Amino acid sequence: MEIPASQMSTCLPLSWRLRRAALVALLLGLWAPCKIVWEQRIAHEQDLLRYHGAPMTRQLRDELGQGLTIGVLSGMRSVVADLVWLNVTTAWMDQEWFRMGGYINLCTALQPRAPVFWDMGGWQLAWNASIAATQDRTQPNELRRLKASRFWLDRGLEIFKRGIENNPTYWRLWNDTAQLYQQRLKDYRTAATYYQQASEQPNAPVYLERFPAIMYGLAGDDQASYAAWRALWERLTPQEREMKQHWKEKIETNIRRLEQKLSVPKEKRVFPN
Amino acid sequence: MESSAPVATSFAAETVGLTKRYPLTWKRKVLVALDHLDLQVRPGEVFGLIGPNGSGKSTTLKLLLGLIVPSDGEARIFGLPPDSLDARRRVGFLPENPYFYGFLNGDETLRFYGKLCGVAGPKLDQRIEELIDLVGLQNGRERPLRSYSKGMLQRIGLAQALIHDPDLLFLDEPTAGVDPLGSAQIRDLILRLKKMGKTVIFSSHLLEQVQEVADRVAIFSLGKKVLEGSLESLLTENQSTQINIPAELSAEQQQRLLAALAQAGIDGGGGKVRFTRPHLSLEQLYLRTVQAQADLASKNPSRK
Amino acid sequence: MISSLHRIITISRNTLTEAVRQKVLNVLLIFSLVLVGSSVVVSQLATPGLDSSGLFDAQIKFVKDFGCGAIGLFGFFIALLSTAQLIPQELHNRTIYTILAKPVRRSEFLLGKFFGVVLLLALCVALMSLAFAATLYWQEMRGIQAAEAAYNQTPNWQANPFVVNAYNHDVAQIVQQVRDPQLIEAVILIFAKLVMTTGIALLISTFATSSIFTIVTTFMIYLIGHMESTAREFWLASGAGSSIWQSALVGFISLLIPDMNSFTIVDEILAGNRVPWSHALNLLGYADVYLIVLLGVSVVIFDYREI
Repeated sequence: MEIPASQMSTCLPLSWRLRRAALVALLLGLWAPCKIVWEQRIAHEQDLLRYHGAPMTRQLRDELGQGLTIGVLSGMRSVVADLVWLNVTTAWMDQEWFRMGGYINLCTALQPRAPVFWDMGGWQLAWNASIAATQDRTQPNELRRLKASRFWLDRGLEIFKRGIENNPTYWRLWNDTAQLYQQRLKDYRTAATYYQQASEQPNAPVYLERFPAIMYGLAGDDQASYAAWRALWERLTPQEREMKQHWKEKIETNIRRLEQKLSVPKEKRVFPN
Repeated sequence: MESSAPVATSFAAETVGLTKRYPLTWKRKVLVALDHLDLQVRPGEVFGLIGPNGSGKSTTLKLLLGLIVPSDGEARIFGLPPDSLDARRRVGFLPENPYFYGFLNGDETLRFYGKLCGVAGPKLDQRIEELIDLVGLQNGRERPLRSYSKGMLQRIGLAQALIHDPDLLFLDEPTAGVDPLGSAQIRDLILRLKKMGKTVIFSSHLLEQVQEVADRVAIFSLGKKVLEGSLESLLTENQSTQINIPAELSAEQQQRLLAALAQAGIDGGGGKVRFTRPHLSLEQLYLRTVQAQADLASKNPSRK
Repeated sequence: MISSLHRIITISRNTLTEAVRQKVLNVLLIFSLVLVGSSVVVSQLATPGLDSSGLFDAQIKFVKDFGCGAIGLFGFFIALLSTAQLIPQELHNRTIYTILAKPVRRSEFLLGKFFGVVLLLALCVALMSLAFAATLYWQEMRGIQAAEAAYNQTPNWQANPFVVNAYNHDVAQIVQQVRDPQLIEAVILIFAKLVMTTGIALLISTFATSSIFTIVTTFMIYLIGHMESTAREFWLASGAGSSIWQSALVGFISLLIPDMNSFTIVDEILAGNRVPWSHALNLLGYADVYLIVLLGVSVVIFDYREI
């Protein structure tokens, strides 16, 4: 049977409903401040470890479009960055360098701590774009072509350097920058400093540690070259010096040659005989 | 919810002023599904709840099972609150439509509910075998429940209700949609349970079946209990006697009987004493016929 | 206590059995395995015919990102869809009546269903991780083959010790990036995020009237959760400047919505950067306590729900 709605509150006992509300409020009320504190601690740790990409600004949202923005918001930031990177490859194949540059900027903004984007992005610009510009028949003359080529090289260099800022322990970025200075810009001294840094990063190949000395030699600075070779030799332990290993022979050969060339006094030589 | 201290009582199930109201927000009214029910069921009784749809029978069962919370009043199972674990350990429930998982087979279903009741290990295995035999589900035990017929579902339902050997059984429409043979088997089972000392509370539309098994009934209408009492006292028509004579009487024999009655001081004139032929119920005829056919088939297997 | 645990375990196993015997789930799982495998194809798309020794770094990044992305995405769908219909299905089929008529507490029932889904998720994530490991291994083989092919262009390079040294270094780099033990950390964090999502969906479903509502609401909370850190910073920093409504909204988000964005350090692991276990454990601790709160509130709401 039905009775008027005035009795609606009597359907469930009041004590029941009060108890339910009180328990929920208690649980959430106790947790909320702990939650804030804990989250702040986690965020602080992550800041120290330098995580996070660029925050979701309106500009970023516009560049990505709706679908990819939802992708970033669902925590698939790296996948979105990878998908955007596919555009870099397409732009390269179409030889649309400005578009390619734009996508490289977008990817590095999304995931600045992914060294790969800086590495390959810088390489695309400083090598592919730059060299393609030297063969660009749409330019009226050689000077223009050289200017364009230098423009892309500088863009690439910029990418490498910003990449190093964000990922200082990724040896390839230091190495790639050094290679640019060495092979394209013929600035051997700067190349030497970058090779030195590269050789000091974790997972760097062993051969890199010889490059600074070689670079100083190419720059014509025998003193610096000798100092570098000597420093390498002095880093070796006595056991290592005893063991027959090819790269030690290289160090020894170069030291001997330079000591000869620079006429280093016998008592100061590493290899007096 | 309510206090969980057991109250000393001699009743298996008891309600005092039990009320349940539901808000019908869209109609801006309140539905009183059950209105101040006072009920006592003694241990070992078979108690029937009868009444039209929406009269409060299902609501009563759900309140006694602790599935829903009363708006007013209280219910007790063996002196305990119905939602306490101790109360539910002594209670078995056969729901109206089979509320089981279709993806489990018969064995798995009994095993699942048995474990929930705290029966485990070899005792559970033994119990499952006993119950499969009792309800006659040897053929279907390996098949998933979604392939069961209605009758089989009722049988597995009874089995899971009994898995932990409860003292009190709630059966909601136990024979609805079951063929007469199956119904008769369920009826026999209820009587057997009664003999074992168990209490049974069941609701049904099939009044004749209620009549066959129940000791006491309560009639519900519009959320209220209208009538309650033992079948014996409710149904017996006072002020009259029935005599069964195993022969057909001719008109002359009828007259002579009337005269004999008149001599005994009973006025049978004017149609006060009626001579009628006793009737079988259709169910009795059906069962007799079907059983006879089954007996014949088992005696002469070549005749198929 | 023990019997309570037994009942929860019984219901969990039943929930898992139900999910496993559902065809929809198998289709989802196979699809996800295919996606994990296809990450290799995508990595090829990103680096077609290019010639650089840093190429493998890019390829492996793609494989890792897409592989783990597939695990996260499909795990999310499985978690969301399974949890959303847990309670509504029981109510609709009325199977909940039969269970609650047994000596089972409502909280045990709810927790049992929840852990059933968590078991399911663990199973799915484990399977997808195996597929992921297989694609990684395949990528390693291809990487080494490519390196060999590149070096073989110079005849008799094996005689030159410097070239051999460079080759060994390249191979070592490949192996190191593929067999990064931090990937286990990444998968565990992905799993933790999925379990949190399950907890949120469970909470919503305890008072929701339909599965769709649960799915949509949980998805919204999931998205907002990725912006919660921004909201929190704003709320903590803002003084009397902002309006009361703005403050209330941002405050509400900060106080109740979980910080889902903190789990994106998985991206850092996949990019090859070091994430110390101490930080991962901090995050896992946060997720665990949050889950306990979610389950606690769910149990309270469900205990008092009319069925």
